Amino acid sequence: MADDYRVIGTPVVRPDGAEMISGQAVYGPDVTQPGMLWGKILRSPLPHARIRSIDVEKARALPGVTVITARDVPDRRYGYAIEDEQIFAVDKVRYVGEPVAAAAAPDEERALEALSLITVDYEELPAVFTAAEAARDGAPLVHDELGPARSVYLASWNPVHGTNIIHQASHHRGDVDAALARADYVFEDTFHASQIHHSYMEPHATLAAARSNAVTVWTCSQEVFQLRTLLAGLFAIPESRMRVINTKVGGGFGGKIEPRLEPVAVALSVHSRKPVKIVMTRAEEFTAAAGSTPATVTVKTGVTKDGTLTVRDIDFLWDTGAHAEGLPPSNRAMKDGNGPYRVHDLRISSTLVYTNKMRGTQLRGLGVPEGAFAIESQMDMIAERLGMDPLELRLKNILEEGDINSIDDVVQSIGLRECLVSVAKEIGWGEPKPANVGRGLSVIAKSPTTHSSISSAYVQFNEDGSAQVLVGASEIGQGMSVVMCQIAAEVLGLPVEAVGIASADTGTTPYDRGTFSSRVTFYTGMAVKLAAEDARKQLLEVASRMVEIPQDDLAAAEERVVSPAHPELSLPFREVLERAHSYERPILGRGTYGGKGDYPTLPHKAQRKEYVPGWKYAAQAVEAEIDEETGIVRVRRIASAHDVGKSLNPVSVDGQIIGGVVMGLGYALHERLQFDQGRIVNPSFMDYKIPSSQEIPEIKPIAVEVPLPEGPFGAKGIGELAIVGIAPAIGNAIHEVLGVRLKELPLHPERVLDAVESQRKRNGG
Amino acid sequence: MALLELKVNGQEVRVEAPDTALLLDVLRERLALTGAKRGCETSHCGCCTVRVDGMAVHSCVVLAVRCEGKAIATVEGCGDGMELDRLQRLFLEHGAVQCGYCGPGMLMAAQALLEQNPAPTLDEVKKGLDGNLCRCTGYTPIFDAILAYGRGE
Repeated sequence: MADDYRVIGTPVVRPDGAEMISGQAVYGPDVTQPGMLWGKILRSPLPHARIRSIDVEKARALPGVTVITARDVPDRRYGYAIEDEQIFAVDKVRYVGEPVAAAAAPDEERALEALSLITVDYEELPAVFTAAEAARDGAPLVHDELGPARSVYLASWNPVHGTNIIHQASHHRGDVDAALARADYVFEDTFHASQIHHSYMEPHATLAAARSNAVTVWTCSQEVFQLRTLLAGLFAIPESRMRVINTKVGGGFGGKIEPRLEPVAVALSVHSRKPVKIVMTRAEEFTAAAGSTPATVTVKTGVTKDGTLTVRDIDFLWDTGAHAEGLPPSNRAMKDGNGPYRVHDLRISSTLVYTNKMRGTQLRGLGVPEGAFAIESQMDMIAERLGMDPLELRLKNILEEGDINSIDDVVQSIGLRECLVSVAKEIGWGEPKPANVGRGLSVIAKSPTTHSSISSAYVQFNEDGSAQVLVGASEIGQGMSVVMCQIAAEVLGLPVEAVGIASADTGTTPYDRGTFSSRVTFYTGMAVKLAAEDARKQLLEVASRMVEIPQDDLAAAEERVVSPAHPELSLPFREVLERAHSYERPILGRGTYGGKGDYPTLPHKAQRKEYVPGWKYAAQAVEAEIDEETGIVRVRRIASAHDVGKSLNPVSVDGQIIGGVVMGLGYALHERLQFDQGRIVNPSFMDYKIPSSQEIPEIKPIAVEVPLPEGPFGAKGIGELAIVGIAPAIGNAIHEVLGVRLKELPLHPERVLDAVESQRKRNGG
Repeated sequence: MALLELKVNGQEVRVEAPDTALLLDVLRERLALTGAKRGCETSHCGCCTVRVDGMAVHSCVVLAVRCEGKAIATVEGCGDGMELDRLQRLFLEHGAVQCGYCGPGMLMAAQALLEQNPAPTLDEVKKGLDGNLCRCTGYTPIFDAILAYGRGE
């Protein structure tokens, strides 16, 4: 695409790259403060039990040690959506890993010694471990009472009191039952997506310092502002005295959105009057942080003989564990569960259920991978039954410009067809191949965050003519830092090296909802663009007074104020800023973006057929070698095409695609948290394997550029979609080779062999 | 407690630490060299990779006392402290660093590999990095950076 950007679209290296690759970046576990203590948390060994008593006397007798339990902290409940958690278990524990007490000491060994001296007397209670069990009448209750919900969620929150069903919602249009009765074929299948772990390399780490009348928290978080509001409320101090500073964040993937160590660290610091640092062990990460929210998905699809999809009825049952952090994915599935398809009649139901297990929370893709595994597997089943090519069936039914999508939005700026055609071409769809090699496709879509998506930015000129970007969104590795500098540099007429960035510190940066749901490039990016435009306007105002040329005739380019009408004019920014800082005012541009005011969302939304910008589309294709004797699936090649609107930085875009695809590979082939009576039995990187260097296939990232007019320079978000759709594409490749359909993730060798074996039995072999 | 005499990044240092102290803890907590990261405690993630007499090791499972008399190299010794070296620059140019937490360990593993095998093939690079996990990049950009180094870029 021809454009004349200087900085946008070029492979600029990240401004924070050098400090990271030289070991100087300060991550959560690296932060220290003078006089700091180390904190450790005593966690429940039981999935469901009443706490009869806790004896901390011996532990407290250790010199220099602070020990706290529920009795020592505010008796308040918290949670971003549903307030169903307290700092320590009160009266009963609800999962193996729940905090019961904590100790702070001058070193970790002493803190652990203190924990070993605490005795807790438990009375075990009957527990529930699957969503299906927990949803039944008469199941033991994980929470005796449901809620409360935070006020912004109240309107759409629909619990079934007296049960474990914390939220139930459904969305429908048309007459689904009549349409199913009319369809030439109806397909009904049930799929299971497993619970995976985020497995960021940096464990959770927090340092809290409560001093006289203020608290400072250093932590590796995706959302510092929500966290500040929660902590200030929990400890009843004004937000002006609760400062949350992001450390460098070593990966998040949705696992560092909600509070984990922060409330305990603050409580320990308040009691010890010293700064307290807590760092999770990897075992704690696997057993007490969170995983994805797993789902069972039942899909009914009606199709005409010519392969036109007419109706879908999709039912999601989500297992959120002991806390309702699965609410966002369960709600998102109601928008995105149907995938990028045109259907006339549609019903999507979603039920979120508590169980006595570690919580499920948001994970890259936010409820979309679970639905896509079901939908995209079933699409190939439909194609087989109708004798159609899976590519042809998809091309016939995918959304196109001007269509009405699943939630009655008008579809605009969609590059999905081009994505699908390009991955099919890249993988060699329809070309000859050996009998043990299969190919599979998937198409995917994800909706924008229509609420909770406020971003703001400041862009400030320094005295030497360079500039500073201040944003409250978190850099978690996605490359926001470079993209925001590029956007500001492009607008300001500066080289990108002359733009610095500060991010995510509630004491200095302006409000941003945070880093989640592929939203930062779009929303924070727009805020930065607007702030830079504001700063440029202010700069030109000052310049206009200096050179006595109307502001409208001035422009900013190459660190100078110039004028097409006055070619001789070449005023360095530095001179304008000397004037501004000495005689006028420092130049501080402001920008805000988001806030459509369309809350409450889906279940209550009237049919409106309006256009909501920021839908994301992608297509994936895989080629895999399947060993019928061992069940081992070796993925050889993957092509992954994404409608990115406009690629702001091709290295960052490729990085998001390849990284997401590889995470999708783990999700597809081997990742799964395994439980025995509520206890996780594979809490290490030895037993919970994420993809390693030796299993990486050849990956071809493809950026399709259909500009989003509302986005910064036409850009859309790209962070999540690449994880979605890899699992069904591999499942489709397995089916092509072996003729078996796997409906449960992960697609590991045992499952493949079992499926082959039962097929043999069915065929009387 | 023991008084250890270690040689870290070419400098002799004396440091007091328990007999059972792990090299990673001595580097991070006693010498304030936090470039080596703790990611798992069980020698699976490789974020703590440093070099001992040239060999890439997981410092979370090496006793510090066993490293006396050996040359310990950490990421802090790469480049000259201000300027990046060629391999570090290639890591950045190829997008081999996203969250960056695995970066120092990856870099040390890559250095050890390239010293033994100055122009590795893709398969050799993949084998050479088998002890180091990355959750962000999908490894491919890291392979590209190391291959580019091998080609003399």
